[in-house]
Amino acid sequence: MKTLKLHIYIIAGLFLLGACKPEIHTPKPSAGSVNFSRYIALGNSLTAGYADGGLYLAGQQVSYPSIIGKQMQSVGGGTFSQPLFNTAQANGSGYLSLTGFNADGTPITTPVTTNLAIRGVLPVPGFGNVTLYTKYTGDINNYGVPGIKLMHITYAPYGNLNGYFERLLPGNAPTNSTTYLDFVMSKPFTFFSNWLGNNDALGYATSGGAGDVLTDKSTFAALYNVLINTLTAKGQKGVVATVPDVTSIPYFNTVTVAAILAGVQKANPSVKALYINALVSGSTYAPRAATTNDLVILTFPTSKIGQPVATPVGNLPYGLTPYTPIDNQYVLDEKEVALTEDYVTFYNTTIKSVAASKGLAVFDAYTFLQNIKQNGLVVNGVSVNSNYISGGLFSLDGVHLTPRGYAIVANEFIKAINDKYSSSIPQVNISDYNGVKFP
Amino acid sequence: MRKILLLVLTIAPLLAYSQGFQVNLEGQKQIGMGHTGTGIVQDGASVFFNPGAVAMLSENYIQGGISPLLFKSVFNPAGTSIQNHTSNKVATPFHAYAVWGPKSSFWKLGVGVYTPFGGLTDWGNTWQGKYVLESLNLKAIYIQPTLSVKLADWMSIGGGFVYNRGSVDLTRAIPLANSNGDVGQARLKGSGKGYGWNAGVYFKTEAGITIGITHRSQVNTTIPAGDAIFTVPASLQSSFPQPNTFRSTIPLPATNSIGFGFYPGSKWILALDVNLVNWDSYKTLSFDYKTNTAVLQDTKSARNYQQAYSLRGGAQYKANDKLALRFGGGYASTAVLDGYVTPEAPDANRVYGTLGLGYTVAKHLDIDISFEYEHLMQRTQTNFESRLSGTFKTDVYIPGISLAYHW
Repeated sequence: MKTLKLHIYIIAGLFLLGACKPEIHTPKPSAGSVNFSRYIALGNSLTAGYADGGLYLAGQQVSYPSIIGKQMQSVGGGTFSQPLFNTAQANGSGYLSLTGFNADGTPITTPVTTNLAIRGVLPVPGFGNVTLYTKYTGDINNYGVPGIKLMHITYAPYGNLNGYFERLLPGNAPTNSTTYLDFVMSKPFTFFSNWLGNNDALGYATSGGAGDVLTDKSTFAALYNVLINTLTAKGQKGVVATVPDVTSIPYFNTVTVAAILAGVQKANPSVKALYINALVSGSTYAPRAATTNDLVILTFPTSKIGQPVATPVGNLPYGLTPYTPIDNQYVLDEKEVALTEDYVTFYNTTIKSVAASKGLAVFDAYTFLQNIKQNGLVVNGVSVNSNYISGGLFSLDGVHLTPRGYAIVANEFIKAINDKYSSSIPQVNISDYNGVKFP
Repeated sequence: MRKILLLVLTIAPLLAYSQGFQVNLEGQKQIGMGHTGTGIVQDGASVFFNPGAVAMLSENYIQGGISPLLFKSVFNPAGTSIQNHTSNKVATPFHAYAVWGPKSSFWKLGVGVYTPFGGLTDWGNTWQGKYVLESLNLKAIYIQPTLSVKLADWMSIGGGFVYNRGSVDLTRAIPLANSNGDVGQARLKGSGKGYGWNAGVYFKTEAGITIGITHRSQVNTTIPAGDAIFTVPASLQSSFPQPNTFRSTIPLPATNSIGFGFYPGSKWILALDVNLVNWDSYKTLSFDYKTNTAVLQDTKSARNYQQAYSLRGGAQYKANDKLALRFGGGYASTAVLDGYVTPEAPDANRVYGTLGLGYTVAKHLDIDISFEYEHLMQRTQTNFESRLSGTFKTDVYIPGISLAYHW
């Protein structure tokens, strides 16, 4: 029995041996040729972490710059501070929440209106009402400002016209005169990311080509040069991103002409077409039958279709006759799409050539999102695509991303940086980030 | 001592896990000698290793043992410094054999209960690949009644019928989050059965070398109606109807073996085995759900395994009447092609080494212990289907013990 005891000791010892874990040797994360000690992010709503039609704490916490900033900490990156809403006002501007589905499978969204960070509303003569938010006074690394265009970065009164920018500034509207670019440059930094430019095209597109204009090409090129020259004046390195194809987002591909028409025909088979007020050329618009190349926006109230509209020839159903076309603001028609694409292509050529001249890394968001729209993407066993809600990439507003989408974008930025600067910032685990939340 | 023996035999089925998909832990003496046993005769484990050799046993046997197994995998996602480890779960492949025949008769009857296939991997619910797999517990318990006949002093044959009781318990996360941000989960759990056979022939040559040749057949194991349990946000539950069942068939592959025994002196046995495993039968892993919806479709995942081989060598040195020392080792090629490696069985080419010790503690009673270390080569992969990309590496530690009563 003595030997038996010995055997038990041996087996116990072998179990201890079993406690050692296998490890895979990975190269130590390296900063390559870059100093990441103070990274700042410039951009618009996508950069701020805007999602579900609003800016709120949970979205800010998964903004792609915050993910990148955290990953940079293993290669010498410093603290990455964001202008977060405080927890008592965590719902920020308010946002949409998915609360259920109708019998036909369409989603029901409900605005979240509690715990907001709204400070007041300031009427600005000649401009309109500006919603003001609770001020943020701490350190800032993420300068993402929802709504900002490249066109605005040197515009001194902008701090009085955009409540998201106003909340970052020390002064109160309407007394602000610090430009966005000066504000960003007020504190030294070593590395930047820049994803400005989307709104210069998106503002026009999401208003159906009616409520906004495309930023003039030469203005865009001039300002982009100013921006990058300023950001790199002290030899700072950075990464820039191209402007996504605005028509690749679910905002324009969910409520389709075919779907609306099918709905109408179910009730009234004699209806042959929807009518829209479409661009002819310049600023001339004329009614015509809609085709599948005309993009209806996500927020179009489809219940308007068929409602009687008073016309000189009597009451006619909305959207179903050339006399009562769907309003311009709801449709980005074929020619408007082409116009937008032409501008976006120009913007992106500018972005890439300026970046190349300064040796900056480029994340080609245009190509990346275009590719997902066409082919989808599978990451870690999760399939994502550009479909509204089910795609997992775009949030409930159909324009901005879900946490999963922002994490995917963060990894693309990281890959672009690593490729350019021989650094090895570790990528983030996309499986930790969710798509749309379901009730 | 008989009591202890019975204890082992009754506990074993309760601890009936198994591991590594193909689990080569079918006898402690054979494990000690690098898993050789096709071309030599040691004990009742011949029921598994070579039914043809059973009639050559000079005694009757009743024996049982277990090999608690620690399967330690790590996954390093591409482009990160993250190390995802499988949790420390101990699988317990077991084996039990009984062999009986009249003294000096030309025939022997045997029965074996063993676990030739299985897998126990638990990656947890927070790792990179959770939407591919959280955990898998796959078990196959073969029960094999056997008849072996000595045709001449130098040749015997034998064969057995195999009944397999298989079970699977698989969980994976579903990428649909509820309002708290908790993601869904799929759990597929069920058991089924399959049938096959095991046959072999054994020769003693004039040169003093013994040779064994065996074929263990493919065993198609079908789970006809396992539970398909889906936990998803309430608003989506109608797309994942409950209760639901699934049907799945796994072709547990055939194995062809040839083994040789050499006897350089009375104290030594040297053994060499070559196995060819027909893993190429495993083309797809399918789950056929009883109730389908637009979202919940049947799944068919390509596996496209290839034939795999293993080379095994081992030796036993009989230090004295009571004590035997054993050692061995081998190499096994992977069945899984590049692009098809999954976290279910992060397979790769593997090498292993074994040590063993046998001691006769009382008249008729042997105690055998063994230890095996197995190393699966580091393998960097991007799976074709899931796009899960990174590096797997696995170490396996297997101590084992058995008791054999013979008369």
